[in-house]
Amino acid sequence: MTIPTSEKTNLITLVGPPNSGKTTLFNLLSGKNFKTVNYPGSTVEYSTCKILSKFGIESNILDSPGIISLCPNSPDEEVAVNSLYNHPEFGSPNLVITTVDASQISRHLLLSRQLIKSGFKVIVVLTMNDILERKGFKIDEHLLTQLIGCDVVVINGRTGEGLSDLIKIIKAKLNHLLNSNSICLKQNVERISKEELLSEYREIASIEKRIIIPVSSISKAQLDNVNKNIKILNPSAKYGNNRPDELTLKIDRILLSKKWGLLFFFLIMAITFSSIFWIAEPFMGYVDNLFSYLSSSAANILGANWYSDLIADGIISGTGSVLVFLPQILILFLILGLLEDTGYLARGAMLIDRPLSKIGLNGKSFVPLLSGFACAIPAILSARTISNRRERFLTIFIIPLMSCSARLPVYALLIAFLTPQDKLWLAGIILAIIYLGSIVSSMIIAAIINKFRKGIIQTEDNSSFILELPTYRMPRLKNVFRNTFENAKQYIFRAGPIILVLSIAIWFLTYFPNHSPQINTEGLSDDEIVNMIAAERLSSSYAADLGKFIQPVMKPLGMDWRIGVSLLAAFTAREVFVSSLALIFKVTDEENIQSSILTAMRSAKNEETGKPLFTPSTIIGLIVFFIFAMQCLSTIAVSKKETGSWRIPLLQLIIFTSIAYIFTFLTVNLIRFAGFS
Amino acid sequence: MRTASELNIGERAVIGDVDNSHPSFRRLLEIGFTPGQEIELISASIFNDPLAFSLRGTLIAIRKHEARCIILL
Repeated sequence: MTIPTSEKTNLITLVGPPNSGKTTLFNLLSGKNFKTVNYPGSTVEYSTCKILSKFGIESNILDSPGIISLCPNSPDEEVAVNSLYNHPEFGSPNLVITTVDASQISRHLLLSRQLIKSGFKVIVVLTMNDILERKGFKIDEHLLTQLIGCDVVVINGRTGEGLSDLIKIIKAKLNHLLNSNSICLKQNVERISKEELLSEYREIASIEKRIIIPVSSISKAQLDNVNKNIKILNPSAKYGNNRPDELTLKIDRILLSKKWGLLFFFLIMAITFSSIFWIAEPFMGYVDNLFSYLSSSAANILGANWYSDLIADGIISGTGSVLVFLPQILILFLILGLLEDTGYLARGAMLIDRPLSKIGLNGKSFVPLLSGFACAIPAILSARTISNRRERFLTIFIIPLMSCSARLPVYALLIAFLTPQDKLWLAGIILAIIYLGSIVSSMIIAAIINKFRKGIIQTEDNSSFILELPTYRMPRLKNVFRNTFENAKQYIFRAGPIILVLSIAIWFLTYFPNHSPQINTEGLSDDEIVNMIAAERLSSSYAADLGKFIQPVMKPLGMDWRIGVSLLAAFTAREVFVSSLALIFKVTDEENIQSSILTAMRSAKNEETGKPLFTPSTIIGLIVFFIFAMQCLSTIAVSKKETGSWRIPLLQLIIFTSIAYIFTFLTVNLIRFAGFS
Repeated sequence: MRTASELNIGERAVIGDVDNSHPSFRRLLEIGFTPGQEIELISASIFNDPLAFSLRGTLIAIRKHEARCIILL
């Protein structure tokens, strides 16, 4: 097959097995100005950028997800391999740089040789030579160049040593390629037989035997240097006995032991979980205050008219509702990044794989599910680490059932209604029951959906768990911070515009047509007038029309249109429920908003029956509703982006909201049937 | 016929063959579980599944049903 290489700018694609130092090399070549792009129709992420101008090479560079061989094992890898041959946006690469961990050469050369045989112009970059040297060996890269028939460069990822050699070779190769417009690619790796694979391994083993030489055969000065840095040096050792890092084995004897493994696992997860809440809380307060301030300043400057309200309430508050979760997202990704970089995350996935596989999930689902307790959006994004498509979609499917932080203000208000002021411990117990209930019910729902997966998830492939457990190391803070920043940026720019547009739409529905209602202002303070106008405007708005339209749906739940409107508003973001109740029930006291909402709720009457609207049965019903309902536009948007179609998000919306409605109906009516109000 | 799933923790053995009828066999070969290689069971998760093996200087966790298709000498 002959494919024209990209004509506009040169393209260099980085390919390599996981943990081979590929991203470090990408960072060395790209500096800081990369962007991530999505492969159409899927979620495989690529980073792309220009090579740093200081190197004097005119070329784009593409960082692809880690692959073990050119024979893909999962749909995500399939996309990665196909795009290597012909990326829909960038074409096929002029040059392929593949990273090989020098201490893992017997495994990693497999991919390099497949690339060379397929006809790519390949440069092999040897990384992590220091690890091999610590074992007393080094690689004869000149001999390797001869044996595999492509350029080999040794690079030290930490110091950048060897980078100038790589640049020289890239330049020479690109100049050479100027004369030929196309490269010839063979796409025949897909179905090689077991025998061919094994003979490939035998060849690699014979190459390995020749190129790995004891450090002692290099110069005396170098040897002294190595001796100084590394205490263990055994030049007479035979390379054949290649053991994993001893310190890693020692740590794993504890962290992966049958006795302590799960205990440490839950301890580490509990610390992660609680710090998302406790560290983020003050920062969320700052963001919230900042946007309240901006919103009220804008309203003051622009005066009282519709566009002032649009900017203050629609745009600024809408932006605020996006950014208020940013601290949680930053902290979550920071902790997960640290855990991943030290090497623990792979082990956590291993420890929890068995229980989760029972309900159709994978060990790799645990971290996304845990993240779901902070916010479903980063949680759905982090489900990308799951290579099996069915397990990833099922994970994404149940993430919205994790009790995210946006539900907290709602639960806080509803629980406060149920419990007396002097019994705060009771509130704590109810909250714990809600959390446990949401975990248990999500696991049950996952198991049920797994049973019907053919109709719901509509994707099936071999469930497997094969995961390399990397050597423990100190986290490289620079990389962790950089990834944290990237993830946060993605959250803002992907979900942000959608949330913003929909917030404006909801603002419109709650603001028009009666945008400046006439009210009797006699004997009222300025603040009270503002609040009266807002409440009047809402009760005669399109949203209220909609609320009255859904009144028949709310009636079986023992609720009326006013709760219906608040629930509708809560579909943009759950915490909106509280402020919406405040607006509808004409709460005027700004100082202590929660206790005044409670007072208003206690005195509210059902407009049809004249009985109290909020009773223990309706409150418990509302809690049940919030446990299940899919009420978050941002989640729907991200779910659509990540699964590549509207199917999964729409099914989530329909299934979870139906479950919420049915369970709320049952709860309310069973409580009433039992003789309570 | 013994398979890698029957190893005790700390026990070493040499791979004799990998069962081609298993859907994961190709991936197991590609990640390095090839005949002639020495493996050691380093640890087992709770319920004895998945298992972590030392192989070619690294650690690799696989499920028990995947370990069952790695036949030992």
